[in-house]
Amino acid sequence: MSEPLHHLSRRSILRAGASGIGALALGDLLARDGLADVQRARLPVAKAKRVIWLFMAGAPSQLELFEPKETLQRLDGQPLPPSLSAGKRFAFIDGERAKLLGTKRTFTRHGECGAPVSELLPNIAGIVDKLCFLRGMQAKEINHGPAKLFMNTGSGQFGRPSMGAWSLYGLGSEAEDLPGFVVLRSGGRGPRGGAPLWGNAFLPTNVAGTPFRAQGDPVLDLASPEGVGADEQSDFFAAVGDLDRIAADRTGDPAFRDRVKTYELAHRMQTSTPDLIDLSGETQETRELYGLGDGRPSFARNCLLARRLVERGTRFVQLYHTDWDHHGDPGNHLGEPLERRCKEVDRATAGLILDLERRGLLEDTLVVWGGEFGRTPLGEVRDFVGRDHHVSAFTLFMAGGGIKPGHSYGETDEIGFAPVQGAMDVHDLHATILHQLGLDHEKLTFRFQGRDYRLTDVHGRVIRDVLR
Amino acid sequence: MSLQLLLIGTSLLGAQAPQVPGEAPPGWSEDVRPILAEHCFECHGPDPETRAARLRLDTEDGLVRSARDGAESELLYRVTSTDDFDRMPPPEHSAGLTAGEVEVLRRWMTAGALWEPHWAYAPLSEPAADAAHPIDGFVQARLEEEGLSAAPLAAPRDLIRRLHLDLTGMPPSPEDLASFLEDPSEVAYAARVDELLASTAFGEHWARHWLDVARYADSHGFTIDGGRTIWPWRDWVVHAIATDLPFDQFTMDQLAGDLTPGATRAQRIATGFHRNTQVNQEGGAKDEENRVHAVIDRVATTGAVWLGATVGCAQCHTHKFDPITQAEFFGLYALFNTTADSGVSSGPTMLVPRTAEEASKALAWEAGWTDADAAWRAAWDAAGAGWRVWQPRRATGSNGPELRAEPDGSYRVVGQSPIYSTYVLEDAPGAGPLAALRLEVLPDGGPGRSGNRNFVLQEIRVERLAAGAEDWSPLPLTAARADFEQDTSADGGHHYPVAGALPGSGLRGWAIKPEFDAPHAAEFLLAEPVEFAEGDRLRVLLQQEHGARHTLGRFRMLLAGEDPGADRDLVPAAWKEAWTARRAQARRRPGLPMTMVMEEREVPRETRRFHRGSFLDPREPVAPGVPAALDRFRAEPGPVTDRLDLARWLMDPGNALVQRVTVNRWWQQLMGAGLVATENDFGLRGARPSHPELLDWLAAELRDSGYSRRHVLRQILLSRTYRQTALTDAALLERDPDNALLARQTRRRLSGEQLRDSMLLAAGVLDPKVGGPPVQPPQPEGVYAFTQNRKNWKPSEGSARHRRSLYTRIWRSAAFPFFTTFDTPAANVTCTRRVPSRSPLQALALANDPLVVELAAAFGARIGALEAASDDARIDAAFQLALGRPPADAERERLASHVRSVREARGEEAAWFALARVLFNLGEFTHRP
Repeated sequence: MSEPLHHLSRRSILRAGASGIGALALGDLLARDGLADVQRARLPVAKAKRVIWLFMAGAPSQLELFEPKETLQRLDGQPLPPSLSAGKRFAFIDGERAKLLGTKRTFTRHGECGAPVSELLPNIAGIVDKLCFLRGMQAKEINHGPAKLFMNTGSGQFGRPSMGAWSLYGLGSEAEDLPGFVVLRSGGRGPRGGAPLWGNAFLPTNVAGTPFRAQGDPVLDLASPEGVGADEQSDFFAAVGDLDRIAADRTGDPAFRDRVKTYELAHRMQTSTPDLIDLSGETQETRELYGLGDGRPSFARNCLLARRLVERGTRFVQLYHTDWDHHGDPGNHLGEPLERRCKEVDRATAGLILDLERRGLLEDTLVVWGGEFGRTPLGEVRDFVGRDHHVSAFTLFMAGGGIKPGHSYGETDEIGFAPVQGAMDVHDLHATILHQLGLDHEKLTFRFQGRDYRLTDVHGRVIRDVLR
Repeated sequence: MSLQLLLIGTSLLGAQAPQVPGEAPPGWSEDVRPILAEHCFECHGPDPETRAARLRLDTEDGLVRSARDGAESELLYRVTSTDDFDRMPPPEHSAGLTAGEVEVLRRWMTAGALWEPHWAYAPLSEPAADAAHPIDGFVQARLEEEGLSAAPLAAPRDLIRRLHLDLTGMPPSPEDLASFLEDPSEVAYAARVDELLASTAFGEHWARHWLDVARYADSHGFTIDGGRTIWPWRDWVVHAIATDLPFDQFTMDQLAGDLTPGATRAQRIATGFHRNTQVNQEGGAKDEENRVHAVIDRVATTGAVWLGATVGCAQCHTHKFDPITQAEFFGLYALFNTTADSGVSSGPTMLVPRTAEEASKALAWEAGWTDADAAWRAAWDAAGAGWRVWQPRRATGSNGPELRAEPDGSYRVVGQSPIYSTYVLEDAPGAGPLAALRLEVLPDGGPGRSGNRNFVLQEIRVERLAAGAEDWSPLPLTAARADFEQDTSADGGHHYPVAGALPGSGLRGWAIKPEFDAPHAAEFLLAEPVEFAEGDRLRVLLQQEHGARHTLGRFRMLLAGEDPGADRDLVPAAWKEAWTARRAQARRRPGLPMTMVMEEREVPRETRRFHRGSFLDPREPVAPGVPAALDRFRAEPGPVTDRLDLARWLMDPGNALVQRVTVNRWWQQLMGAGLVATENDFGLRGARPSHPELLDWLAAELRDSGYSRRHVLRQILLSRTYRQTALTDAALLERDPDNALLARQTRRRLSGEQLRDSMLLAAGVLDPKVGGPPVQPPQPEGVYAFTQNRKNWKPSEGSARHRRSLYTRIWRSAAFPFFTTFDTPAANVTCTRRVPSRSPLQALALANDPLVVELAAAFGARIGALEAASDDARIDAAFQLALGRPPADAERERLASHVRSVREARGEEAAWFALARVLFNLGEFTHRP
């Protein structure tokens, strides 16, 4: 390696930032080692500086939330008519035996854009003029774990870096004292797929997402040991760093160098995180805007934490809210469980977008809301009524970050089975988000095992129709 | 183009392939199948339900016929077509094959399209091993192909530290280190390997891997997550590994120890392996649903751990990629669907004596219990002489309770405990007369579910649906009798006569206060005997709307074609006495730990395939068995009908798959990654082995050594491949970042458990006590804030705080955070490999966690008490204790400056605490060299 990384501390990089170069990305650091060249991936304009991704793990039903289909209602209980099944291929469903399922939900058109949203999401319905619906989304993997990996890394198998990691790699972080990529979780359990969903894979370790705890305190061990003052704590971190650098030089093992950076970040987090997670300074009005309740761990609390994180310069925040997998089992169907999920996220989602907007942050913060795939127009009748996994069409929405507000892109056929226009796959979504962050998805690469990898692999189109 | 080209005769099978000069044709397993698995098998694979166009591409018959036509084949046309309608895979499915992939297919077909079975399911290749050390021979051969050479041998200090950490989970003691540095010869190294492989510490550390695999925890899981006792199983694992119980026995005891003829107590404890499934104690949790979940988990875990197969995928549908049909999943399911455990409680359990004296106590009590239980059952049956037990499968209760059919013919009412409920029993009882019904209520699990164990049976209605009729007709009841009726009117209460349960009586129903601790019976007579024809249905409704949960908790229903008459004891004294004796025996149970074990259910259950995996939709019956594609090694496959058969089948010397999966996981523990990187998926989508011959050689060693773990590990540990340095060369790192070629060792971060144990050792406070109930080391505040069921984590006192991490209590809902931070898996599903992560939270934990602080203080005290002439000497000694080497000058100077500044601010004691704390945080301390 031409020049050891540690000769360039983060502080010196940030000082460089103050003199006009802009925050240097980790990719820039690596560029000095000849490992990467992220400059060439930079576009002249970046509309978004940061991303908040509200990941509805388990995949909500677009047909209960955003996609009313008259024909589907009419054909409720009937098998798929041959006119519709012609040329369609099924992954899981037995197309001959399964029956179409109309929704029980009432839809109303909202706002000036007239976007349909069902009764389940009244608060989101109230802000549709700020949202851009992607109605022709398509996924590929049919099971949750691989599908979440695919949505995050562009591949259904382990081993590729997540989108948040790529973003940090391309842009660096503006958060000096907090991780640049934070993962917040709420709901019954962690998302299927786990740490690889926010992993760095072959990218440097410090672009990986840092998961905050889903219960109790989001971050433990923030206080120095009893009796240890600030000076001692600083010298403790410095001593560990100095000795690890010696080990790095002696062994040539990059693991030691990564460790130095991790400890530096930990030290800074120690002072900045308590302030981050102390919500007592938020006004009653703001708490109500998010529907914070008693402040227990919840999606709402995570939304508020997300705003506080991006205010402090975190580049990429991902919120997972689990248990949207409404197949039709007890506790897991399109009745009360779906209603409960919607209640948990509706107010907080709208509150977050409104709060970002009034603070002037929405303009350059891209908010993404959606699951890893959608659900079938065909019903799944187990003990209760539900829908199966559907990769051919589903709906996501975005807001802010230079995305066209009050807009819908894509349209599905009369039963919502597949797009008839405006199809957009996960690679397209990635390409478009990176584009808004000011990164060319075809040029943001990393050489690994002799190959230049990118988030979008050999795919991806920037969907210009959704850009402002 | 038509599909007729798909059908060509099989005469080409086995024919010699024409060779393309100078270029090896692509192989089916290595090159072709991965492409088809990626793009085609989802719709043209093993699953008949999703198979499109009746085309199957994963078998020789299906595919090879379609491919033997070389470059003209339909297959090639389909994957290269530019017509959206013809192209495969369909455009909406994926972007299709790359040009390179098409070229592989073309060359493979041109060369004759030779097919071979999936490598993992094939017999071992029995590779010849001619090198002095076979492992090194295989590795070296591959390195030479790649133009690489192995790294130098690790320095003795690194090697011995690595060996101790890998085998015992802790670095060597100063004495163990010093003795090896004095004589670092190969002989001394081999002796150390043998010594460690025979140590209890090895059993403890390797048990931790197995605990991950077995999803072990000390609690039941789900939201209530109450505590459970199953640590005797954990101790069994430690002992089994430390004493090198052969892996075949290790497997058979855990899967089927209870079924082994003459099963010992240890073998029954071993069956705790599959009792590590979760139990749902939530009010309203469904027993059967949770039991089914546990059985499914046992199948999936067995698949991942022994077969390296993602069997769980076949629960709802036939596997998309691997040759496991849904029916075969349920064949495996049937093997595990025979046990007596429930989804909502912890039984069956077994006494665990720890001394000979306790053992004889336990034996005596168990014999007494068996007798008392048998006597109770005999007296019970005698009391019902002249009646036949009626236990319809269809038995429900309104407002949520679950009527669980027990093998003795009774119902135990579990789950939701509603204020009111009406129980309904229904089926076709068969041809014959019906004259009377007898309701037995039992104190075990009942009689009632109200606070004082009472119930009120307000009304019993009996109805018949004649075969072919549309409406139920009531069968009038005219008389009722019971052995006992509650009459508390003298105390301001009321009389609850059994006659009150007759429809339209206008009286209060039947209740039994205060006789809760004895069985009771009520009998109801039909106005006249009714002749049931075959297929006529009988329905009995037990209405219980008194309120305050006055519902039945345990009862049995019996029928008689002829009234046996009132001239007898409805509840004979012998039956009551047998109950009292049984209860007395239960109360005499010795105060020993009870561990969760597997037991067969007295009456077998029928297994049916669940349509789309839903237990609410059972379809055709399925017989127990193993997947045919994995069973090719048996020349004459016999039936596999119970867990013992399954265990024997897994451990059949011909079962190469199991041997490969097993040695691969052991290799992974020592080398960081398996020879097959996807250690739990040896199927068609899994990775191929980096060194196939080495894998097969190790598998053969396992088989031929009598399944000795110690032998196989010894082979690996003595190899040069294991002993080489982890020193990383930038070019090699770039070329082979995952170390698939094995041109070096890998430096790896210690697990949370290893980190804590290493600190305990350095601090000199490790309590080496082996086994026993779990303990609670300190943990930070704020762990349980807001969890549903706040756990009472009272830190253990004294040396119990300093037991090995293996013994730390594991709550499923709130795992010990220090370990979780360092990637200890959640104990919900099997984990065959920990995926290491790095985050600043780990640095915060090592810097500030109370656990580390307490141990740094202890280590600091030890440092302060060392005999040393100067700060520098003290620093050198401490460094040596923590890292097994003296510091370099620069290291010593930096540490000394930290010590000085802390001493100035906070004094001597704090200074050595500070030194200890820095040492615990160094990368060299937290990594295995």
